[in-house]
Amino acid sequence: MSTAPNAERGDAPRQLRGRGGLLVPLVVAIVCTLVVIGMVGMEVPPETTFPGPRFFPTILVVAGYALSILLVVHYLRHPDEEATETQYRTYSDWPAFAWVAGSFLAFAVLLDVLGWILAAGLLFWGVARGVGSKRPLFDVSVALLLSSLIYLVFAAGLGVTLPSGLLGGM
Amino acid sequence: MDQLQLLLEGFAGALTPMNLLWVLLGCLIGTAVGVLPGLGSSMAVALLLPMTFALDPTAAFILFAGVYFGGLFGDSTMGILMNTPGQASAIASTFEGHAMAKAGRAPQALAIAAIGAFLGGIVSAVAVTFAAPALAEFAANFGPAEFFALALLAFGAISSVVADSVVKGLTSLVLGLVLATVGVDPISGAERFTFGSMYLFDGVSLVVVVVGMLALGEVLKVATRIHRDPKPEQLGAPGSRKFLSKREFKDAAPAWARGAGIGLPFGVIPVGGAEVPTFLSYDVERRLDRRRRDPQFGKGAPRGLAGPEAAGNATTGMAMGALLALGLPVSATAAIMLAAFRQYGIQPGPLLFDTSADLVWPLLASFFIAMVVLLLINLPFAQLWAKLLLIPPPYLYAGIVVFCGLGIYATSPSMFDLLFFLGIGCLAFLMRRYAVPVAPLLIGMVLGPLAETSMRDALLGSNGDYSVFVAGPIPIVLYVLLLVVVAFKVRQVVVTRSRRDV
Repeated sequence: MSTAPNAERGDAPRQLRGRGGLLVPLVVAIVCTLVVIGMVGMEVPPETTFPGPRFFPTILVVAGYALSILLVVHYLRHPDEEATETQYRTYSDWPAFAWVAGSFLAFAVLLDVLGWILAAGLLFWGVARGVGSKRPLFDVSVALLLSSLIYLVFAAGLGVTLPSGLLGGM
Repeated sequence: MDQLQLLLEGFAGALTPMNLLWVLLGCLIGTAVGVLPGLGSSMAVALLLPMTFALDPTAAFILFAGVYFGGLFGDSTMGILMNTPGQASAIASTFEGHAMAKAGRAPQALAIAAIGAFLGGIVSAVAVTFAAPALAEFAANFGPAEFFALALLAFGAISSVVADSVVKGLTSLVLGLVLATVGVDPISGAERFTFGSMYLFDGVSLVVVVVGMLALGEVLKVATRIHRDPKPEQLGAPGSRKFLSKREFKDAAPAWARGAGIGLPFGVIPVGGAEVPTFLSYDVERRLDRRRRDPQFGKGAPRGLAGPEAAGNATTGMAMGALLALGLPVSATAAIMLAAFRQYGIQPGPLLFDTSADLVWPLLASFFIAMVVLLLINLPFAQLWAKLLLIPPPYLYAGIVVFCGLGIYATSPSMFDLLFFLGIGCLAFLMRRYAVPVAPLLIGMVLGPLAETSMRDALLGSNGDYSVFVAGPIPIVLYVLLLVVVAFKVRQVVVTRSRRDV
């Protein structure tokens, strides 16, 4: 019953409740639009004969738009039943998602500056926290132990290039 | 008996101490990820993919083969003991397996599962050894039209079978095909969808997509639900007898044979791996059981466990044959293996048995070795593997994400790829959350270039005449097969709908 009033919970407007699946066709439509933009601006070598580099993507774009319409119909007719779960405000635990995704974002941006040991330690710590570890201080030691161990095995042992960053100058 | 000679030479190549070490390591990793619920062998192979570049190709593939089969040995352990199958291919084994464990016959169930997986694997390894070279020879005169039909069959089958709705499967497939078109077009040399970024010039890295889809997406999905889903209960009731009695063995034997027979053909039909044959085998055993004097199903029937286990491994083994001989991946794991072959500059397909015989035969020999190793580490120690659950989940998942970061950075050390990887992970989360399967995306990305180039080559050769696609007998057979698969799916949908209405 996705249309059940949820006003007192004060979250998403009720006509959108259980409609989160519409994000999927939205993503597909965005991807298709990017492909169309890319095809318009594509520089095709003049001597190219049929079927050229635009042939296959054209088929994909047509299929992609058609599928996103079908998906919109699907998700409107079958709203997400799990979203009506009453125990929590949302089906997904978004803070946990933010911890995991955010830690990886920080890792990606800071890796070259901090170096592998610190950045990977931070990543481990953040993900462990997101997945529900309750001992932040103990986690720090586990995180640094693992990241240092990986650095030893892969950078020193197997010759994979990992940035040393801050610690490299010491 | 040409093959026998070659296989023996393969054994000589595979039985070096280093290669044996890789088999053992692969089997241990594979069993471990198979045992842990939520981690599949596809994720393990994906995570190992960037790290094996330091190895030579033979060692890397021997390692992969161990992981690939190990996952199928380990996945039923948790299904039997805790009613939580390690991966999708173990769901069918879980019903009767867990019922057996509840009846205090857990050791017997684990033994039946391990022996079933062993027999299925051995049968398929024998079949691959003798059938794959013939299959490759047959495929050697495939032209563009045939390869296009083959790719289309794979696309159609995987997107209709894996998903609950065909629309979702096709959506996933189209996303994968679009990702595959990025980069320089190999036929005309035109730059496609790079939007001026030099990072996309060579196309989207398959490693980034595979690891993002299978590992990061899974961790994100787990993280958002781990506090909310009920925890499975460990069944701590080990049986009194440790081994199978002669009667139990005799009881399970026909089911093992039937399971392996059902599983084999599915190795070359791209329906997304071992899920379909395991359920088919389970269904066959249940129907046969109903005709017996005292039906065992529901009370822990050894046959209901033996069949699916043998079927699962028979399919997996045969799938390796299809991958080697046709270059056709039938599941996500096989798609990653294909990607791995390409990373080494090796193209699986009809020519592989000629050009890379020194790689293929040790690899096939290592299948046999892996089976024996897996039987040895699973039959007596299955209960020990269950102890892996003592790893706290936060550390397990945090470790996986750190290894993702390591793998991505090791293959392409740039912030762009790390961020792109995060984006793919978020997309994978969205897809998993709304029940869009990820396997068609991976197959689409891996086979996309083959589909596109063979389609355009065929049209170039025929001056734009579309009838070239149905000109030969082989494409027509493949299209008919595709129609059969789609018809099967339609029937299934109609049946479930009418059942719901009643």
